[in-house]
Amino acid sequence: MEQLNNIGASLDFYIFVSIALFSIGAIGVLTRKNMIVLLMCIELMLNAVNLLLVTFSTFFGNGEAQIFVFFIIVVAAAEATIGLSILIMAYRNSKSIDIEMFHKLNG
Amino acid sequence: MDALIIIFITGLIGLFVGMLKNSRLTLAVISVGLIAGFLSMYYMNDYQSIFQSYQGLQFSRTQHMFALLAIGLTFVSVLLGYTYFKEDEEHTSDYYGLMLFSLTGALCLIGFSNLFMFFLGLEILSIPIYVLVGIQKGNSLSSEASVKYFFTGSFATAIMLFGIALVYGSTGSFEMNEIQMALDMGMSHSPMLNIGVLMMMAAFLFKVGAVPFHFWGPDVYQGSSNAVMAYMASVVKLAALFAFVHFFNFTFHSVTPFVAGLILFAIVVSLFLGYLSALKQTSFRRMMAYSSIANTGFALFAVLNQQYGEASLWIFMIGYACSTIALVTINMIVEKETDNIANWKGIGYSNPLIGITLVISLLSLSGIPPFTGFFGKYLLLSSAFTNYLPVVILAIIASLVGAYLYLRLMVLALSKEGEGNKLKMNLTQIIVLILCLGGILGGWLVLLI
Repeated sequence: MEQLNNIGASLDFYIFVSIALFSIGAIGVLTRKNMIVLLMCIELMLNAVNLLLVTFSTFFGNGEAQIFVFFIIVVAAAEATIGLSILIMAYRNSKSIDIEMFHKLNG
Repeated sequence: MDALIIIFITGLIGLFVGMLKNSRLTLAVISVGLIAGFLSMYYMNDYQSIFQSYQGLQFSRTQHMFALLAIGLTFVSVLLGYTYFKEDEEHTSDYYGLMLFSLTGALCLIGFSNLFMFFLGLEILSIPIYVLVGIQKGNSLSSEASVKYFFTGSFATAIMLFGIALVYGSTGSFEMNEIQMALDMGMSHSPMLNIGVLMMMAAFLFKVGAVPFHFWGPDVYQGSSNAVMAYMASVVKLAALFAFVHFFNFTFHSVTPFVAGLILFAIVVSLFLGYLSALKQTSFRRMMAYSSIANTGFALFAVLNQQYGEASLWIFMIGYACSTIALVTINMIVEKETDNIANWKGIGYSNPLIGITLVISLLSLSGIPPFTGFFGKYLLLSSAFTNYLPVVILAIIASLVGAYLYLRLMVLALSKEGEGNKLKMNLTQIIVLILCLGGILGGWLVLLI
């Protein structure tokens, strides 16, 4: 643990990388049209959270946050599975995976 | 704690029973499991649970009440869905199984005492709902609703997680008590904490469906089936609102003044946008979605009331959820190809039970005494009266608009035109209507205990 605690000096660096990853994911979700790219962007956001949690975990010197990371990985896998199956179902109904195609519900 | 395990295992057993392709048997198994879960939750303190030592899930008295309400509302939704689901004998158990898994998540979200359970509960609650919304495979509206809900919902989850990570970074713990202590000592009020709290609040506003993150609600409610919509408007909303109130009344209570302005803004805009947009809808489910946005606005007053917030929320939610479920049941009975409100014309006179339920639930939603809806609104507004008077006055004006909306529907249903067409009702639908009537008329009696 002694060694691990030494990242204090470069903590900012990890946080900046994580915020950058998160923002890239968020901007991707907001601007891209392809649903598979949207799924990838959401995964990117979740991985940014993982990086942040691991950074804090080493900074505080306790392993709790690393267990949280495992939870996130499992949930992300479940979400990706559900997302892909919803995507396939939507593709069968509309023959497209462009998010702009979905505008029947409005008003 | 045992109730969670019982409900989860009932869901699994239900999936296997579904292979027999007998929807009546599936309903019986699911109902027995839900009743067993309810009883085990009710007598929670009277016996030694094997999971007693686990600290992550603890039900205090209020949390206990909320958990019982969630199980009860799920039971009503399951009964409500029976007539609809039995058409599709092969997949009946899928609906019930997914609903019970989602209820497991709702119970985690009600009883959490650390962020692990909170996060898991939120996800176990949401993921089955993504599937339930899109379960009508051939229906393109349903799959559109599912896609929209999935992408916006998982985006909100990611934002929530980033907020959790930032809160952890500034307080150093995932335990709710320790976070609260760290905040109370005032050592960790940093920009990082504030950003984290704001991100969590944004995700919460999304999950409960309040302005400015309400846009998914109408689309998802309209695209899903009646039974799923009833479940989403009652149990999902209840669990998400409870978690929101619990977070901001206890754990973050030293930060709440900092976000109070934003919450007041969300309340006012939700109320007006919800009721005014509901006025021009022709689809019944879409109208109920806007009405649920407005009612969420009322429920958010509980966040600002530290002392009695949760108890008032309970009373408000039982009134709101019972009325909504009753109206959705009636919509299911009168629905033809579309859920247009014009179908409702003149149904009140020739069908006495429908007429009475409809009038009482609409009066309760408009907030007219002596129904539960009135007591809920009264408790929520009276606590905010001293500190936030302008917002309370705006809320009362908005609820007048809401009363116009609901009374207009009542006038339509009681008009003389189209009189005399008897509607067919199943036994389960009659039971649902009577249970909802009981909730609306008797829910406020809990106040006397």
